[in-house]
Amino acid sequence: MSTSCKPVPVRMLRVAAILAAAASSVGGIAAAAEPAHKSTAQRQIDALTQQLKEVQSQLRELVEQNRQLLQKEQKLEEEVAKVSQPGGSSAVAGTTATNPVPPANSVLPGNPALTANPVPPASAYANPGATVATAESGSLLGGVKLWGYGEIYYTHPTHDNTRSQADLARAVFGIGYTFNSRTEFNSEFEVEHAVASADDRGEFEVEQFYVDRQLYNSVALRAGLFLMPFGFLNEHHEPTNFYGVQRNFVETLIIPSTWREGGLNLHGDTSFGFAWNAGVTTGFDLSKWGFAPEFPPYTTALDLENSGAAPLQATHQELALANAEHLSQYLALGYYGIPGLSIGAAISTGDAVKVPAPPNAPLPGNQRVTLWEGHARWTPGKFDLAAIYARGTISNLAATNASNPGSPNPIPSEFYGYYLQGAYTLWEHEDYRLTPFARWEYYNMGSRYEGTTGPVLPAGDVPLSSSPGDYGTWPVNRDRVWTFGANFYLTPHVVLKADYQWFKLNSDFTRFDLGLGVSF
Amino acid sequence: MGSICGVSRSRRWLVLTVVASASVLTACGDESSSPDPASGETSPSAAAVAGKALFFDKSLSASGAQSCGTCHVPSHAFAADPATEHGLPVPLGGPNMDQTGFRNTPSLMYASFTPPFSLSDGPVGGFFRDGRASSLAVQAQQPFTTPFEMANKDATEVISRLRSSPATFQAFIAAYGEGVLADPRAAMEDIGLALAAFETEDASFHPFTSKFDYWLQGRAQLTAQEQNGLVLFNNPGKGNCTACHPSQAQGFNSHALFTDFTYDNVGIPRNWSIPANTPGAPSPISGAPLVTTMAPVNVPADAEYTYYDLGLCGPLLPSTDDAHARPDLSATTTLCGLFKVPTLRNIALTAPYFHNGVFNNLHQVVQWYVTRDVNNNAGNNPNPVPAGPGGNPYMLVGSFYTAADGTPDLYQYNDLPVAYDANVNVGEVPYTPPTFGGGQAPTLTSAEIDDLVAFLCTLTDGFDPVNPSAYNVPAQCQPVMAQPMMGQPISN
Repeated sequence: MSTSCKPVPVRMLRVAAILAAAASSVGGIAAAAEPAHKSTAQRQIDALTQQLKEVQSQLRELVEQNRQLLQKEQKLEEEVAKVSQPGGSSAVAGTTATNPVPPANSVLPGNPALTANPVPPASAYANPGATVATAESGSLLGGVKLWGYGEIYYTHPTHDNTRSQADLARAVFGIGYTFNSRTEFNSEFEVEHAVASADDRGEFEVEQFYVDRQLYNSVALRAGLFLMPFGFLNEHHEPTNFYGVQRNFVETLIIPSTWREGGLNLHGDTSFGFAWNAGVTTGFDLSKWGFAPEFPPYTTALDLENSGAAPLQATHQELALANAEHLSQYLALGYYGIPGLSIGAAISTGDAVKVPAPPNAPLPGNQRVTLWEGHARWTPGKFDLAAIYARGTISNLAATNASNPGSPNPIPSEFYGYYLQGAYTLWEHEDYRLTPFARWEYYNMGSRYEGTTGPVLPAGDVPLSSSPGDYGTWPVNRDRVWTFGANFYLTPHVVLKADYQWFKLNSDFTRFDLGLGVSF
Repeated sequence: MGSICGVSRSRRWLVLTVVASASVLTACGDESSSPDPASGETSPSAAAVAGKALFFDKSLSASGAQSCGTCHVPSHAFAADPATEHGLPVPLGGPNMDQTGFRNTPSLMYASFTPPFSLSDGPVGGFFRDGRASSLAVQAQQPFTTPFEMANKDATEVISRLRSSPATFQAFIAAYGEGVLADPRAAMEDIGLALAAFETEDASFHPFTSKFDYWLQGRAQLTAQEQNGLVLFNNPGKGNCTACHPSQAQGFNSHALFTDFTYDNVGIPRNWSIPANTPGAPSPISGAPLVTTMAPVNVPADAEYTYYDLGLCGPLLPSTDDAHARPDLSATTTLCGLFKVPTLRNIALTAPYFHNGVFNNLHQVVQWYVTRDVNNNAGNNPNPVPAGPGGNPYMLVGSFYTAADGTPDLYQYNDLPVAYDANVNVGEVPYTPPTFGGGQAPTLTSAEIDDLVAFLCTLTDGFDPVNPSAYNVPAQCQPVMAQPMMGQPISN
């Protein structure tokens, strides 16, 4: 809450009363020391006594006023808390549920939308789509914020039941701390696939870890490990914020959600709904590329997103001993000045860590990774319409790919994807909301290559793993995907999902999914 | 005396391993290598000079006729020269040079990049074909006292012979001093270190001068056939060779080493030319029955034959002198039949192939790889598909799996007791086991095998980009025509 309207603290009033009483005592002592002037002194004492009574009366009035103000403040806080709770007022529920993807840069301090929003700006910094539990002010934990989200999937490839999987895909816990009205810290810690150990596929990751400092009313500085402001999903990837059991392919395979980098940025906005965000960050490491996968890196749609095989998934560094020889720069712009409409675009570019050249071979030129995207969303009435286009390029790969002929996995010079999505709120009752949707999507993880004609994929059936008898076809790295499904919100913070995804080229990926998502 | 650069003896193996892995020598006083201002090249250390003398000194063997270089011939990529092995796939040795070894001599080229043995992520690294030595220095000591090799009784006898070999002796004491000779076991350690220094420092062990290397540098052109061979080598559905013989650098060195140093059981055919497999076979020298010193280990009572070489689980145990050797794996029968993946650099020079030398040329090797599980052996397929119209398009013209009398051997993977058949790799291309969903077709055609072999020949060192025509490649690398392959379709 703002500090500008705080009532006068009770303890200050108490100090004033004590001082007044002390003054009275001092006067009494002085009178006792001068009996020769008793009548004059008595008059003075009477006058002072009268004055003291008046002061005391005023103090009582002030105490009463203060009590009323405190009550009023408490009432206001209760109302705010009520609104922020799951199942709160329909206005806020609508913010989350009917508009699951807030503007990418709604984290800006001084954002007029936030000023009008009953949710405190501090919570919006961390996670606009979630409720943040803040410890009671005045307690030892004052300023601490906690939040979290997670999702569980069941996925059933329709062509091969043996590859059905159930997965606690992620459990994420956020911790933040507000140091003062202009400075705060936020972090998120994620466990993927339920168990993170040397013998399991799960991972424990630090997904965000940064400090925000408001410089001016509409400009803030952020430093640390933060999410890149690209597309709808990367910054707002809580399961209540997107349609479909799992994240869409464009914003995982082309924009490598959850894409985060280390660095710093400046972000801000204007009163008419224009937002901007520009920063310098760590970049990509192409030396991590694997040219010789023996088996397909993914054999199901679920694998496709989890395998990390996409160009930028395979080479992002996540601030884990990241090579920082080269830094990337980015700029993101958005406009949300028209109610129900938000549009945005972003571009990032920077030299990557090169693929090592063979000894004594000429060094290739700088291998620059550039990614740009544009997105728009319109929510007229019960409709929720969205579109995105994203494209990435990597330069100077001819020699690198040419030295790995026959590779099923050369590095692409270009990759892109797009989707169109429409959703409609079919039914609402109290907190319940049912929103069917459809998405038409295309991704291509290698639309152009240098130094090779493209991946050399084995024909026919090949082993899909080292398990004897596990055979199938090697998937292609592009596809057209239709997704039909529905999100059913029990509350704005708990969602049940179901969808059916049809793949045109990798037909074995076609699947039926169920999901449970929680965000608080 | 007796130490290298002040490094304690017990840690020298580690020092050598590190030096080998880094392929960079650290200057350390007058015993170390140092730049030669005249040539601009690094001159060998005193240890490496001593190692070279030791390597080629036959007088250090009981027979007086065998040195390291006898079996590790420089012109054959420091592997064996078949012409001098009397037609055997294994070396002869012993006091009278009439005892046979049991494994085909491995190449020492690029051996210095081998990591220490580890089981943390499956078996990897170590020296010898079974990884039982933890370092090159430990490995190099052992043939001196192996009964069927240089056949000295013990370290004392080795040192005695060293004292009697003036040139080698002088080189040795120049590096290590004479005092260490009073302790034969310590002196043996220094002999191992000297040999390791030679194999690590001398560029002839790792020149990286193959046509492939120059092609990567843009200084040589691969022919269309060689280029296609590389494509097949890398293609996971065709050769898939790169899965175990990576054509990319893997972190052991900045060059590709064409081995990942792992272990595999590929179920190769039994080689009846190894005397250990046929006790009592006549010596190719004297005609007298050969005596083998190999004792069967882990051979089940009901196995088809009485002796098998089972690699990681036997018949040889780790050296008791090597505190850092691999653990004794003789009880781990899941590792029976696994051998270390060798480098393919200079592979065209190192025939015969595999640990038992069962194949004489690369065409045979690749043919065997892609037809191992095709119907070339009824014993390998419980449900063989009949040849002919509508059936298996591949016709048998022979089998690599033969019994001692040359007839087809019905036992599956006949150089392995049936009890360990489950250890054989059947999950990777180019194997096409009966469970293979794509049918029983080899993953490579005859022409593709030729292309693949042509590429393998480009891994031979000694290419001169200024004078490409002078490239001296083995006969099997001469331009090849498509050869008939076992399992080829019958032509009308």
